[in-house]
Amino acid sequence: MTNREAEWSALLRAAMEGDGRAYARFLGLITPVLRGIVRARGYALGSEGQEDVVQEVLMAIHTKRHTWDQSAALLPWLYAVTRHKVVDAFRRRGTSVHLPIDDYADVLEAEAVPDALAARDSAVLISHLDARSAAIVRAVSLDGQSTAEVGARFDMSEGAVRVALHRAIQRMARLAKGME
Amino acid sequence: MMKTEDLISILVADEVPPEPLRLSRIAAVVLMIMAVAVTLFLWRFGIRDSVMQVMQRPVVAAKTLLPVALCGIALSFTLMQLRPGAVRAVRLRWLALPLAVAAGLWLWAFSTLPAGVRFAEVSPFSLTECLGMISGLSLLPLGVLLLMMRQGASVAPVRAGAMAGLGVASGITAGYSLFCVMDNPLFYVTWYGVAIAAITALGALAGGTLLRW
Repeated sequence: MTNREAEWSALLRAAMEGDGRAYARFLGLITPVLRGIVRARGYALGSEGQEDVVQEVLMAIHTKRHTWDQSAALLPWLYAVTRHKVVDAFRRRGTSVHLPIDDYADVLEAEAVPDALAARDSAVLISHLDARSAAIVRAVSLDGQSTAEVGARFDMSEGAVRVALHRAIQRMARLAKGME
Repeated sequence: MMKTEDLISILVADEVPPEPLRLSRIAAVVLMIMAVAVTLFLWRFGIRDSVMQVMQRPVVAAKTLLPVALCGIALSFTLMQLRPGAVRAVRLRWLALPLAVAAGLWLWAFSTLPAGVRFAEVSPFSLTECLGMISGLSLLPLGVLLLMMRQGASVAPVRAGAMAGLGVASGITAGYSLFCVMDNPLFYVTWYGVAIAAITALGALAGGTLLRW
């Protein structure tokens, strides 16, 4: 196991235990690498299209993170999820992409490319949510309000806010892959 | 304007912990539903007479053991597919062994039976009973299995659905064989095979839709 894999594994394992900072770090570390893969393979999509694919992959990793067996190596799981979503995303955009697993592993192991595409607008996903869900997502995730504050504002319990946020993110994931 | 970094913030804020993927629980539920379906069927229509005695004939035992082998391999493969990138302890090519034995039985029966009796058991009733029962009994467990498989993340949804169909239909067929008195391999290899193939195809079709993620 490489140092990178050990670090990523530890972060995701901690994230699965509820450590939000570890999860943020994990996603932050893999995002530039994912971006490099998508950019290298999908020049035909343009920078905005590439960033859409990156976001789809991130949401797939989030919604399927429970399928990682924590006693097994992380990278094969990460390769498989990312490869599947990248190929799927490109196929739905009418662009075929070939990602041989060996080549792909090399790319994932490579240094992250500079993060020049981070400003891609993806507010369109939030705009498809109902008004309350969108407000909860913005308040908790973007404005940094606590679930208690948001709950008081919407007359909801903290648990209900967490569930509403979870469902909103699941819906965003479905929207991103074109299933709604 | 939301950036990818904002999306990460949204994902991190999702505090609902993911429910762990328990393959053993999926297997237990599906096997239990299959067992209940077969038990109810055998309770209603009965097990064939002298089943233990006739099972001592290899050609009759194969009627049950081959579907059991297919069921075990296909369901194991199905469940392992739910974890992307997992090391697979069961290989798809293992299916070749029971399928080769079935083909060998068919050829052996065709070459040894007189022409007049090879397909003597084929009738609209026997085909309807065989195909209808196996297919009908397979639908509920297949539906439940596919729905439970949505918890996982198969990177080949059509294949995963097909393997689910193959596993369920084979298991149901093994139970059905305890009722069926058609011991001619030309009958049971052909028509059990057709029923299993139909459910396998149905699983593939459904998997292509239900197992996308």
